[in-house]
Amino acid sequence: MSCGFEEDLTAYVDGELPPARREEVTAHLDTCAGCRSTHALLRNTVARLAELPAYEPSSATRRAVMAKLDALPVPWWERLRKWLRPVVLVPSLGLAAAVGVALLLAGPGPDAPPELEDPAVMELAANLEVAEDYEVLGLDSAEDLEVVANLHELEATP
Amino acid sequence: MSAVDLDSDAQAMLKVAAGDRQAFAWLFDRYHASVARFAFRFVGDRERAEELTQDIFVKLYRHAGAYKPTARFKTFLFRVATNHCLNEVRRGEYRVSHTSSETPEGEETGAVEMAGPEGDRPDQALAGRELEQVVGAALGDMSARERAAFTMCRFEGMAYRDIAEALEASEAAVKSLIHRATLAVARRIEELQAGTAPARSRA
Ligand SMILES: [Zn+2]
Repeated sequence: MSCGFEEDLTAYVDGELPPARREEVTAHLDTCAGCRSTHALLRNTVARLAELPAYEPSSATRRAVMAKLDALPVPWWERLRKWLRPVVLVPSLGLAAAVGVALLLAGPGPDAPPELEDPAVMELAANLEVAEDYEVLGLDSAEDLEVVANLHELEATP
Repeated sequence: MSAVDLDSDAQAMLKVAAGDRQAFAWLFDRYHASVARFAFRFVGDRERAEELTQDIFVKLYRHAGAYKPTARFKTFLFRVATNHCLNEVRRGEYRVSHTSSETPEGEETGAVEMAGPEGDRPDQALAGRELEQVVGAALGDMSARERAAFTMCRFEGMAYRDIAEALEASEAAVKSLIHRATLAVARRIEELQAGTAPARSRA
C-alpha cells in the first residue's frame, strides 16, 4: 500500500484522471503487481455495485412534501395578494393593483403610478389606501396588515 | 443528460423560485428517486431516509431563490441534500444504522426492497442480498463525507467535479474520499467472495 500510484487507482477506474496522469498509471500497472491487484479489485467492486437492487422510493412522499409546503408560513406579499382579491372586481386587475401596492410597500417605488384603465385606477386607489394605512399606522406584522385589509373589505360591502 | 434536460430543469427551478408549485412537482417527480436513494444510502434506514427526503425537498422549495441557472440543477439539489444530511448527522438526529445484522437471512429486509429481475434466479438474489449487506456495513463505517461522496459517485453517477461542488470541497479531496470509500467497500466484497464460495457451489 506504500506505492504512490495506489491513491489514483479509483479515479483511474472512474476515468477521472487527467490524460497525462492516466498514461502514467497505465504504464505503472505493467510494472507493479500490487497496483494491478488493487486495480482489479476496484474495477470488480465498481461493477458489482451496479448489480445492487434498485431502491424503491415511497409513493407517499409526494403528498407528504406537498402538505409540508402548504404548512409553510406564507410570505406577507403572497398573503396581501390573496386578501386583496375579494375587494377587486376583476381578478387580473386585482393582481396588477396588488403588484403596485407591493412595489410601494417595498420601498422607494416608481415616481409615477402605473398607467391603468379607469376601473383599474379606481382599484389601485382603493388599494393605495391599504398602503397608506400601513404607513400611517406603522404596522409591521402580517397580522396587522390582514386587519387593515379586512377593514377595507368591510367598507366595500354594501 | 442532454442540454435540453438541463435547460428545462433550470427553467423549472426559476419558476419554483417564483412560487410555482407545478414546476416544483415536476422537478420532484424527476428527482425523487435520486434523492430518496441518496438519503437511504446515507442513513441506511428506510424510515429515516423518507424523513430526510421530505425535508430535502421542502428545503429545495424554500431555498429556490438561491439557485443560479448557471449551476447545474442536479448539483444544486445535491448540495441541498448533502448539507441537510451532514447537518442532521452532526446534530445527532440520525444515528447511521448500516448494520448487517439488521437484515437477518431468510427474513424480509426492512431496510431495502428488492426490485429487479432476481426473482427467477434465486442464487443471484442471495448474492444481491449479501452484497447489499456488505455494502451497508461498509457505508456505516465510513465518515459522513466519504459516504456522501461515495453515494453521489457510485449510485448517482456524478462526476468528481460536481460532487466537489455539492460537498463544497476540492476535487482532490473528493478523489481521496471516493478512493478510500471504494477501497473499503472493495475489501468487504473481497471477504464476501472469499467467504461465500463454498455456499455458492452448494447452491
Ligand atoms: Zn504500484
